[in-house]
Amino acid sequence: MRDLERPAEAAGTTSTAAPAVEQDRPARAGGPDTRSTLARLLDTGAGRNLGLVAVLAVLCVIGIATADTFATTSNLLTILTSASIIGVLTVGMTFVIIGGGIDLSVGKVMALASVWATTLATQSYGPAVMVFCALAVGVGCGLINGVLIAYGRVVPFIATLAMLISAQGLAERISGKRSQIVTDPTIAAIASTRVLGIPLLVYFFAAVVAVGWVVLNRTTFGRRTFAIGGNLEASRLAGIDVRRHTVLLYVVSGLCCGIAAIMIASLTTTGSSTHGTLYELDAIAAVIIGGTLLTGGRGTLVGSILGVLVFTTITNLFILNNLATEVQNIAKGLIIVAAVLFQSRAQRANP
Amino acid sequence: MPETTAGLGRRRFLAGAVGVGAGVALAACTSNEPPAAAPAPNAGAAPAGDNAEPGQPVTIGFSAPAADHGWIAAIAANAQAQAQRYQDVTFEAVNPTNDITQQIAAVETLINRRVNALVILPNDGSQLTSVGTRAMQAGIPVVNLDRIFDSPLAYRTWIGGDNYGMGVSAGNYIGTRLRDQGVTNPVIAEIAGIDSLPLTQQRSQGFQDALSSYGFSIGPRQAADFTAQGGQRVTANLLQAAPRLDAMWNHDDDQGIGVLAAIQQANRSEFFMVGGAGSANAMRAIQADDTVLKATVTYSPTMAGSAVSLARLIAQGRGMTDLVEREVPASITLASATITRENVGQYLPLGFES
Amino acid sequence: MASPERGAPPLLQMHGIVKQFPGVRALDGVDLDVAAGEVHCLLGQNGAGKSTLIKVLAGAHRPDAGEIRWDGRPVTFGSPHAADVTGIATIYQELDLVPGLSVAENVFLGHERARLGFTRPRELDDETRALLRRLGHPEIPPGRELGRLSAAGQQVVSMARALSRDARLIVMDEPSAVLDPEEVDNLFRVVRELTAEGVAVVYISHRLEEIRRIGDRVTVLKDGRTVARGLPAPSTPTAEVIRLMTGRTIEYVFPPRPAVPTGDPVLEVDGLGRRGEFADVSFSVRPGEVVGLAGLVGSGRSEILETVYGARKATSGSVWVQGRALRAGSVRAAVRAGMGLAPEERKSQGLLLAEPVYRNVSLPSLSRFARAGFVRGGAELAAAAAVIAQLDVRPADPTRPVRTLSGGNQQKVVLARWLLEECRVLLLDEPTRGVDVGARSEIYGLIRRLSGQGVAVVLVSSEMPEVLGLADRVLVVREGRVVYQAPAEELDEERVLDLVMEGSRV
Repeated sequence: MRDLERPAEAAGTTSTAAPAVEQDRPARAGGPDTRSTLARLLDTGAGRNLGLVAVLAVLCVIGIATADTFATTSNLLTILTSASIIGVLTVGMTFVIIGGGIDLSVGKVMALASVWATTLATQSYGPAVMVFCALAVGVGCGLINGVLIAYGRVVPFIATLAMLISAQGLAERISGKRSQIVTDPTIAAIASTRVLGIPLLVYFFAAVVAVGWVVLNRTTFGRRTFAIGGNLEASRLAGIDVRRHTVLLYVVSGLCCGIAAIMIASLTTTGSSTHGTLYELDAIAAVIIGGTLLTGGRGTLVGSILGVLVFTTITNLFILNNLATEVQNIAKGLIIVAAVLFQSRAQRANP
Repeated sequence: MPETTAGLGRRRFLAGAVGVGAGVALAACTSNEPPAAAPAPNAGAAPAGDNAEPGQPVTIGFSAPAADHGWIAAIAANAQAQAQRYQDVTFEAVNPTNDITQQIAAVETLINRRVNALVILPNDGSQLTSVGTRAMQAGIPVVNLDRIFDSPLAYRTWIGGDNYGMGVSAGNYIGTRLRDQGVTNPVIAEIAGIDSLPLTQQRSQGFQDALSSYGFSIGPRQAADFTAQGGQRVTANLLQAAPRLDAMWNHDDDQGIGVLAAIQQANRSEFFMVGGAGSANAMRAIQADDTVLKATVTYSPTMAGSAVSLARLIAQGRGMTDLVEREVPASITLASATITRENVGQYLPLGFES
Repeated sequence: MASPERGAPPLLQMHGIVKQFPGVRALDGVDLDVAAGEVHCLLGQNGAGKSTLIKVLAGAHRPDAGEIRWDGRPVTFGSPHAADVTGIATIYQELDLVPGLSVAENVFLGHERARLGFTRPRELDDETRALLRRLGHPEIPPGRELGRLSAAGQQVVSMARALSRDARLIVMDEPSAVLDPEEVDNLFRVVRELTAEGVAVVYISHRLEEIRRIGDRVTVLKDGRTVARGLPAPSTPTAEVIRLMTGRTIEYVFPPRPAVPTGDPVLEVDGLGRRGEFADVSFSVRPGEVVGLAGLVGSGRSEILETVYGARKATSGSVWVQGRALRAGSVRAAVRAGMGLAPEERKSQGLLLAEPVYRNVSLPSLSRFARAGFVRGGAELAAAAAVIAQLDVRPADPTRPVRTLSGGNQQKVVLARWLLEECRVLLLDEPTRGVDVGARSEIYGLIRRLSGQGVAVVLVSSEMPEVLGLADRVLVVREGRVVYQAPAEELDEERVLDLVMEGSRV
């Protein structure tokens, strides 16, 4: 493999240079100064996820053609609001997967955090304590995951699967398997508050994505995440504390779960052990169709978020057209495959 | 070096302290006891009349799915509570499970323990029929709760709700109310539970049949998944599809929490909504009359309490004293009541906390 | 003896093979004739197209133009399976074996002898045992899990696999890279046996002396073209071969040795040991000094290096840098103290292959280019660009993915990393493995330059001339112990080989 790389890989590799680099570096070998705005645009996260953008565009065209309410502002905001919770989880998941791990526990850690934050006892202390509880539970679960994986050398799949199961159990235990109504007016108001006509949850979502993007692409933490996901041994031999970093990755994911827990408690006005069922799979699917390697080391946050939007838009489209759930599921599966196929083709065509 | 070590030590100590503090604070937050102890809302009839008189002591075995929903949780709680009301009943509940084979094994354990009667809410009626039959052959009467066995040989008495009737009640309430308001061509939405379940299909069928008797039909219809989160998601999107609604039926009050949240978040109030199952939350909302929820049709988990009462009577060889027959009937279908603001006070004690 | 008869077509003829990748013409008209029963050596620098050519032969790449004849008949290999059926087996440099399967299962992977879908393990074991015996390794148990064998053992299994195919042409891509001299002898014996049976061998190696020993004819590739074909291997002068490969004449020279440095040792290793691997290793290195560890593969030299670095945790002894003891088993402590390691397995231990060069260079020193955790990309890129320019990494584009670089340039990237980190102690494990002749002397020059700047260097290499040519002092390691220590000028290759192998020759 020393002489030449396979063409597909070589092409894929070019696109790995993360956005951070692209902007710091005006010229690049091959076509220095002639790079058009378009080419530069293609090098952004969205550009490298052309396939997904195209799928999203097709979905929008279908939406506009089949449902006259699709293109309304309120419907688009509904899509974004629906996307916000799974979107926040996906941000954490993207970190973990790029860092070479996997977190199956996100959905149920979120459920546990939402339950913990909405018990009668917690609610009696007011919204600040509720938020603190949710975040602390999320971070705590992430910490346990991370320590088990990094220091206990448990395979991430198993450690987080165990967390999924026990978080579910604990959530059921605490809630007595009931839905705990949010009576605190501040928390309940989050979902119904709008700023400049846009729901507060959408701002939360945007803020988490923005912070996540900056951390992933502009900080040493993000850079090391790519490094340990790309080659754990090389990173270790370069003097990076890979175990501590791994713990932190799961803590980030847990923190996202905590944030999502507050959001879902507000959106559904309950904390419940039934929240977040199978969210981990939706989040993983979004990350993967967003172009992140399941083995780690490569990926973009923008791609993951596009993946989430594709999923949410599909659900919205089908409900607008009053189609039954089973049809939705068939189409969802097909669209996942189509998006991934299209994605890899598009990447190959735009080295 | 010493400085950094000290700094590190201090940092570690602080981190540890924060961790411990957070842990203590968190642990304090798991309590769900209401500050002022409200009476346990477990519904049930205090024993009265001839049937209440203690008979021979009997042991009643109980097996139900693991609670993943407020309704199922209420089933177990109701059965337990009703059993405690009888001095002559020993109640043996096996560990609830959502695994069919485990439930079969659990029931077999109860058979081997020679309980006097069994109350079974199967995970799946068809798949537990054989074990029901085995119990009956072993001389243990089975009270089949709600999800019916395939063969009448598998149970002595069936008691359950009326899914079709629930749909009919909801349809009738909506139909009458819209007709009285003089609405023509109303847009009626339906938020179902899990579409693949027969009970959901029966509820929808009843709803459709009842509405068509008023000349109305169902507009937007989506299935959620019996969770608040699913209800919220589906409703938020459905409201986008339908800029104007006249009425909505939501099959399940537990997912109704999310449905109501979505409606409030969308600032919609031009229609009224009917719930399903009859949770305490829903009833309180109906009583308060500050949401679009105006009624709910019951599918009450109190049936579990009744099932225990029936099992006791059967095991003791007694009939229901108000009936002429000497035996307990072979089948009892509960009527689905429509709870509105007018009669909610009467039902509130029966509501289950979802 | 199936020497090619006059008139009979060669076993394999490749003519005008072209393979185009986006942006690169990897093969641009390659000719290759291989006769039955010969060892045909394929030479060329990294990037000359050797690997691509092998992949065309193995059916992994489809050529865009050109003709392949097998026994005189035109053929196309659409898939690796087709090549396999034709009778071509390839032993890749990066072994394509499954570590979790047994030796026998690996040998018969892809053509399991099965009846009605049921494998017949005993038969497989017997056949494998016979093959291993033929290869001179009867001691390898067929049932052993492959991953538990040494690199050399795995190489033998890879050979057995090629043999099991009844191949008529075996391609060997740098088979000696992981072997000890003794095992190389063994390999050559097998190769001779094979050719005596009429099997053709295409042999790729960077070691010219091996080619002279085993090869019959040589074909030289340069920039995707055949520049010389069918040269007689034993008689073509080395200078001629190098000239053909590089287009210039370079000598295999080491830079002149400067005066032996004095000064306080920067690295002191005291009684270092690791249970089961090595024991009681003590040495010290002064600034500007190069200390070489000579020993066979498996003698413990790489383990010593990695333990000094903290990548393995020492069970006894200590490592001191500039008078401070390092925490055992902590790479971070070593890096902070100013140590750097260029690991043996460059790709799996050293590089982030998919990432651009500059990110590989800045990996250990990233926080220097960060303010409050935020990377200042411009500063980082500029610093990396300066270092790679200093080391003459080609192409000099810091944003190019590392995987597109040749082996020699990848090694320079690893060195650049530690140059940027301004490390004081540099540990080099096989710094020229998989590096072609031209780039080797550049790396030698680089090592000298670094030591000239006062960096203390510890060097591990399988190639004795390298250790002797670069090191000021040589430690001979045998079976986990340092058995001899002397200034390099007091040693010669034969003396070191003798020391290294003493005891293993009973």
